[in-house]
Amino acid sequence: MTVEGPSGGNGTGKVGEILAVGSRAPGSGRVQLDVPAKPGEPTLRWRSRVHTIPEIEQELARIWAEPNLETMVEGEPGRHVAARTSVMNLVVVARRPEVGERCAATIQLLTGRHPSRTMIVSAADPDGPSWLDAQIQAHCVLPRDDAPEICAELIYLTVGGESGRHLGAIVAPLLIHDLPVTVWWPDEPPFGRPQVLELLSNADRLVVDGSGWSEDGLKRLRKLAGLLDTTTLSIRDFALVRQSRWREAIASIFDMPEFLPYLTSIRRIAVTYGTHDESGTPGSTNVVKPVYHVAWLASRLGMRVHKPLALAEDGPRRHAGSSAHSGMSRGLTATLANGRSEVAVVVRPVHSEMPSGTTLRVELKAERRGSELRADVTAEKESVHVRVWLDGVEELDRGFLAPRRTDVDLLAEAIESGGRDPIADDALRMAAALVGPDGADDEPRPQAASIGASA
Amino acid sequence: MTAPTKPRTRSRPEAQPDAIPQPAPRAKDVPRTMKDLRIAREGRRKAAGRTLENPLREGLRLERVPDPCVLVLFGSTGDLAHRKVVPALYQLWRTNLLPHEFVLLGIGRRPFDDESFRKELRGALEKYSRVLPLDEPAWRTFKDRICYQKLDFDDDAAYESLSGRLDELDHDRGTRGNRLYYLATQPSAFSEIVGQLGRVGLDHEVHGGGWRRVIIEKPFGHDLESAHRLNKEVGRVFRESQVYRIDHYLGKETVRNLLVFRFANGIFEPIWNRRHIDHIQITVAESIGVENRGAFYEETGASRDFLQNHLLQLMSLVAMEPPATFAADPLRDEKLKVLRAIAEKSRSEVAQDVVRGQYGSGWVAGEPVKGYREEPEVDPQSETETFIAARLFVDDWRWSDVPFYLRTGKRLPKRATEIAVQFKEVPHKLFRESATDPDPNLLAIRIQPDEGIMLRFGAKIPGLGIDVRSVTMDFTYGSTFAVDSPDAYETLILDALLGDASLFTRADEVEQAWGIVDPIIDAWADAPAPEFPNYDAGSWGPDAADELLGRDGRRWRRI
Repeated sequence: MTVEGPSGGNGTGKVGEILAVGSRAPGSGRVQLDVPAKPGEPTLRWRSRVHTIPEIEQELARIWAEPNLETMVEGEPGRHVAARTSVMNLVVVARRPEVGERCAATIQLLTGRHPSRTMIVSAADPDGPSWLDAQIQAHCVLPRDDAPEICAELIYLTVGGESGRHLGAIVAPLLIHDLPVTVWWPDEPPFGRPQVLELLSNADRLVVDGSGWSEDGLKRLRKLAGLLDTTTLSIRDFALVRQSRWREAIASIFDMPEFLPYLTSIRRIAVTYGTHDESGTPGSTNVVKPVYHVAWLASRLGMRVHKPLALAEDGPRRHAGSSAHSGMSRGLTATLANGRSEVAVVVRPVHSEMPSGTTLRVELKAERRGSELRADVTAEKESVHVRVWLDGVEELDRGFLAPRRTDVDLLAEAIESGGRDPIADDALRMAAALVGPDGADDEPRPQAASIGASA
Repeated sequence: MTAPTKPRTRSRPEAQPDAIPQPAPRAKDVPRTMKDLRIAREGRRKAAGRTLENPLREGLRLERVPDPCVLVLFGSTGDLAHRKVVPALYQLWRTNLLPHEFVLLGIGRRPFDDESFRKELRGALEKYSRVLPLDEPAWRTFKDRICYQKLDFDDDAAYESLSGRLDELDHDRGTRGNRLYYLATQPSAFSEIVGQLGRVGLDHEVHGGGWRRVIIEKPFGHDLESAHRLNKEVGRVFRESQVYRIDHYLGKETVRNLLVFRFANGIFEPIWNRRHIDHIQITVAESIGVENRGAFYEETGASRDFLQNHLLQLMSLVAMEPPATFAADPLRDEKLKVLRAIAEKSRSEVAQDVVRGQYGSGWVAGEPVKGYREEPEVDPQSETETFIAARLFVDDWRWSDVPFYLRTGKRLPKRATEIAVQFKEVPHKLFRESATDPDPNLLAIRIQPDEGIMLRFGAKIPGLGIDVRSVTMDFTYGSTFAVDSPDAYETLILDALLGDASLFTRADEVEQAWGIVDPIIDAWADAPAPEFPNYDAGSWGPDAADELLGRDGRRWRRI
C-alpha cells in the first residue's frame, strides 16, 4: 500500500495513526487529549491518506476495527471512541477546494445529528494521467456529557485525468449499502452530461443551490426540473427552501377570511430583486429566487403558463432561457392563466447593496367584484413585513420575526426530508414552464471536461 | 408574527368564501333536544362561512393556522400558568405559530393591571421559558397582547364585566369572538367557573360569531362519582366537542410518536399481540417528592395523581386497535375500548395485584431527603400512597393473558418514563452452546428523558465460535432530528386553538379510568392501615413491587 503522511496536523503521518488533538502517550499508541472533548463540538480522531479505492476501503475498515481507539484523558483511560454511526451517505461535488472546505465545515456541525459517510469529491487536471488522492478523516462528537461519542467518516477525494470523468464509478464502491445517498452539489451541476447522470444514478436525493448558478441561472433550473421526469431523485434547492419565510408571510395574508376569496382572483404578481449591475447586462444576475416566488404561487393556485418569461416590452422578445437575451434591467414578464383570467407576471431588477438576485419585494394584485386588493411583502435579515390594501385603504401592516436560514439549517432540512416533496416539485416544474421551452443546446460540452473540475 | 398590527382604518363586512359541502352528521351527532338542534343549526351556519382553506398553506409548517382569538387564562397568577401555560404561549408566539390577532387575558384574584401583570409574566418567563435568554423583539410584541382582569370566581358581576371586556377585545384587537377558556385553577373552582361562563352566555358559539372552547386541567374529579358530576356540570354549559381535558402526557413528542411508531410501520403491528409479547411494563418515575404540594397530594396520592390519567392513558395507547382515521373521536373510541376491557379488580385481586408504598427518608441524587410524612402540609400519620404498582390485564382477543405492569412513584432514583415491551423467548434455543444466554427481544420506548426508542436483539460475538450477546439499536430524538421537540403544553394548546381534540381525553374515557381506579382505592380503604413508610427515598419502591413481578418469574426493567 502506498502511504503518505497527512498534509499538516499533529501526527507523523503513518497510516492509521490516531492523531486526535494532543500528543501521543509514550509507548501506548493511544492519544492523550490536551483538552477533553466538549459536547456538541466535533473533534478530529483519525486521519490518513491513500491513493486507491481498495486502500480507502481498508482504511475505513481499520478505523473502526482499531482496538486502540480508547483515548487517554489526563493520563487515565478515557472515553472509547464509539463505533461508526452513519445514517446516510453524503457525496459533495466540489469544484474548488475552498467550496469543499466550506461544505465540510457545514457537515461537521451536523455530525452529532446526522452522522454520515461524507465524500467530498473534486476532479483536477483533466488532461493529465489518471490518479486518485484520498484523505480520510474520522470526526467524533459527544451528543451529551454522559453519552457515547458519535463518529462519522469524511473522505476528501481528488481525482485526476480520465478518472475525473467517472466520479460515479469512484463513489459507488465507497457507499455504505442500504443507507440513503444524498448528493450535494454546491456549484453548478452540468446537468445533462452522462457522467452527471451516472453519479446521480447512485443517489436518492440531490441538493443544489440554484441561487448560486452563473448568469440568470434559468437554463440550469430548467434542466434541474427535467430530472424530476427522468429520475426518481428527491430534489432540494436551497434557493427554494430558503424562501419559506416569504411563503409563510404571503400565506398568512390569506389566512384572514376577508382576504381569502381574493386568492382566486389574482391578476398580477410582481417580484423585485436586487442587482449590483447598473448597466443591465443581460443575464448578469441570477434570478432563480424571484422566479421561484412566482412559480410557487402559480403552482399552489393551479395556474398555467400562458406566455413564458421574456424580456419586458421594448426589449427584444426572446425567451429568458435563451442564451442571448438582453435588457435585463427592464426585467422579465410572463403571463399566467388562472382559469379564464390572465395574470401578469413581472420580475424586475433594482440596484441594491443586497446580494445580487436577492428578492426584495413580492407584490400581488387581486380584483374581485369591483374591489381591488394589493399586498406587498418585503424582507430584511431578521424579519418579513406584510402590508395589504383594499381599494387603496391600508387594511393590514404586520411584521414576522423570521431570520434568514443558514446552510446548516437548510442542509439539515434537506437531509431530514424523506422522499419527494410534491410542493417543491410543483414549484420547480412551474419555474421550468415559466422559463419556457428548451432552445438551442445551451450547455457547453467539451469532451475533456470533468464534472467536478475547476473552471 | 411580532410587529403590532396597525389599527384598521375602516371596517369592512367580511367577504363570504364559497362553501364546500359538509359531511352528513353521524348518528351519534344527531341532536336530541331543542338546544342541541339550535346549536347544531347555528354550528352549520357558522361552518358554512369558514370552510374554504388557504391553498398557500399546503406544505408549510402549519397547513392550518389558529383563528384569531382570546385565550382567557383562569388561574393566571398560579404556578401552573407561570411554569407551563405562559411559557408555552410565549414559545408559540416566538415561533410564529399563534395568530397575529391573539390576546392572552389573564384572570385572577390578585389586583394586577395590564402592565403589572405583564411584568409578573416577564419574571415567570425569565425563570421557566425553555429558550433563554428571552427573545426581546418577540417579548415586546407578545407583551402587547397580554391583558389582565381581576375576578373572584364566585362574583356574578365580575363575569358580566368579563363579558364586556371580551367584547371590547374582539372589537379592538380583531379576535373575532373566538375564545379559549383555560382553567388552570384549583379543581374545586372548575364547576363554579364553567357555570358562571354559561350564566353570562360566554359559552354561546353564536355570540359574536366565534367559537368557544374550554381546557380543563387534571385532576378531573377525584373518583368516578365526582368525575361524573363534573362532566354533567360542564356538559350543561359546553358541548363535549368544546371541552378539552388536558393530560399533558399525551402532548409529549414520544407519546405522539407511539402512534406513529405503531401505525406508520408495517413490521411491528403483526407482532403486537399476545402471541409474541410476553408482558409490558410502563414506568413513570419521579425523583422529586411532593414539593410544596403536600396538602394537594394528601388528597390524591399516586393512584389519583398518575395512575388514573398518565399511566392508563399510556397503557391505552399501547394496547389500542388501529383507529380508522387519525381524528379525535375514532382515536378516543379505540382508547376507550381498551379501558373498558380492563376488568375492575375485586378486593382480593387488589391485594394480590396492586402494591402501594410511601417513601421514608433517604438519599436522592446524592442529597438526603425527608420522608413523606415529614413533608410540609402532610399528616405525620398519613396513609397516602406515593408509589403504586399494579398488574392489569386487557381482556380482549389481542391481549388476553398478557400482563401490563404499571408503576409510578415519587422519590425514586431518577426521573424516567418508559414503556417496555418484552417479547417472548424464541421457541427453540438453537445456540445452546453460547457462553451467554441472550435476553429475549425488548422494545423500550423512552418518553422522558432521552426521548427515543431502543430495540434489543441477539448478535453473534465476533470470533470463531457461536457466542450470542444482546445488543441494542438505539434511536434518540435529540440526535436524529435537528429541531427541538416542543413542550407538551405547546402542542396541546396549539391543538386546542386549532380545534383538534385528538390528544385530549373525553368524558367517557375519564369516567372509565376512574372505574378502574376506584375499586383499588375502595379496597385500600377497607384494608388495615398500611405499614408506611415502606420504601426508602432513592430506591425503586417497596419490595412488594418486585415480588409482584417475581411471582410471575419476571422482574422490573432496570432503568
